[in-house]
Amino acid sequence: MSEEHKVSDELRNAFVDGELDAAEWARVAQSMERYPELREEVGELRLAKDLVRHAYAVPPARPRRARAAAASGWRSIAAAAVAFAAAGWFGHAWWSPGAGLDPTSAYALRGDWHALRSDWRTLDGNRVLVHVSSGEPGALGTALDEVEDLLRSARAARRSVKVEIVANSAGIDLLRADASPLAARLAALRGEFPELGLVACGQTLERRRASQQVTLLPGTAVAPSALDQVIKRLRDGWVYVRV
Amino acid sequence: MKIPVPFGCRAAVRRELETSRELLYRMAYAWCHDAALADDLAHEAAEKALRRSGQLRDADRFRAWLLRILANCVRDHARLRRGHVELAAIEETLAAAGPTPEEAQASAQLALRVRRAVGELPLGQRQVVTLVDLEGCSYAEVGEILEIPIGTVMSRVCRARQALRERLAPLASEALGARLRSVK
Repeated sequence: MSEEHKVSDELRNAFVDGELDAAEWARVAQSMERYPELREEVGELRLAKDLVRHAYAVPPARPRRARAAAASGWRSIAAAAVAFAAAGWFGHAWWSPGAGLDPTSAYALRGDWHALRSDWRTLDGNRVLVHVSSGEPGALGTALDEVEDLLRSARAARRSVKVEIVANSAGIDLLRADASPLAARLAALRGEFPELGLVACGQTLERRRASQQVTLLPGTAVAPSALDQVIKRLRDGWVYVRV
Repeated sequence: MKIPVPFGCRAAVRRELETSRELLYRMAYAWCHDAALADDLAHEAAEKALRRSGQLRDADRFRAWLLRILANCVRDHARLRRGHVELAAIEETLAAAGPTPEEAQASAQLALRVRRAVGELPLGQRQVVTLVDLEGCSYAEVGEILEIPIGTVMSRVCRARQALRERLAPLASEALGARLRSVK
């Protein structure tokens, strides 16, 4: 029995869900580098996860509530919240709901870039989609390093290449002119390489903009959602790398 | 004897509830697939949470605490109906989410098909997988919310994903063609 089968179903799912400790994680990642089948299967699990998240990102509108007693519920809660906020009772929310760090992608899988590099010469079309959904500065820095490297080596080898960075969830910060620690670097990179595209997730933006001002880097396009963009690019034969 | 609830605690729960409105509704919807019922369940959970605000010991556990209340509301509802919560006809009223009608429609179609696949899962699996995927709950947190052992959480995750993969395979291959390269 091959080593691949030693990675149990539980382990594969726990890997996708960000439930593994460093040692277990490394073991799965190592097996993934070795076994394309395992890599594919983990990819499918991750796709299933993304699809489920996408499917409920915008649930149907709430129905108009008919029951009078029930109808008062949220309003009274809202009124109380406003009153206390106005009174300054609480400086900061001690619990913040919503997106946060996406546990499935809070890593840059070594195998990803590694495999991409080794495949680089044989790729069709040389179009690479880099999906960033982690806001972890280390991961973002690594992603930019790799993107820059791809662009430079392609140019040096006189190969045409197209790279697109699509960002959602906490990763959207990468594309913010007002918040990205890497904004200057990204802007310079774009100036040097027009073949680098930036795309922000419309759903993430909408959620963010409900509570704060968000300014994107100039030239950033907005897709209906990151997943839509990923699927569109995959359909067109782009290579997908997730950070 | 009932210990008096500190005023600040109740007020804090109110405040957090207001920001958790979407979370409750989305999760209730993911579990019962009926907008009206989901809205009722979300309300009920919010009202219960407010009444029991004194029980919340650790503010960091607010989300798990609240979702556990919601899970109990769903369980009570299912018990009253003497069966499991049935999947209602999936509504076709997805909010338009894209710049062009075609893109919005494609996106909505995709969401509907995935929801249908999720709706075919047994409630227990559906709850586990949506807590993990939509809210990013840890397995431990899911165990706490649904009051089940972590081993059960893991086996449900495995079974749910396996079923989803099978049901979504045509969708995935149609969407991605043969192009989902093993780079990821």
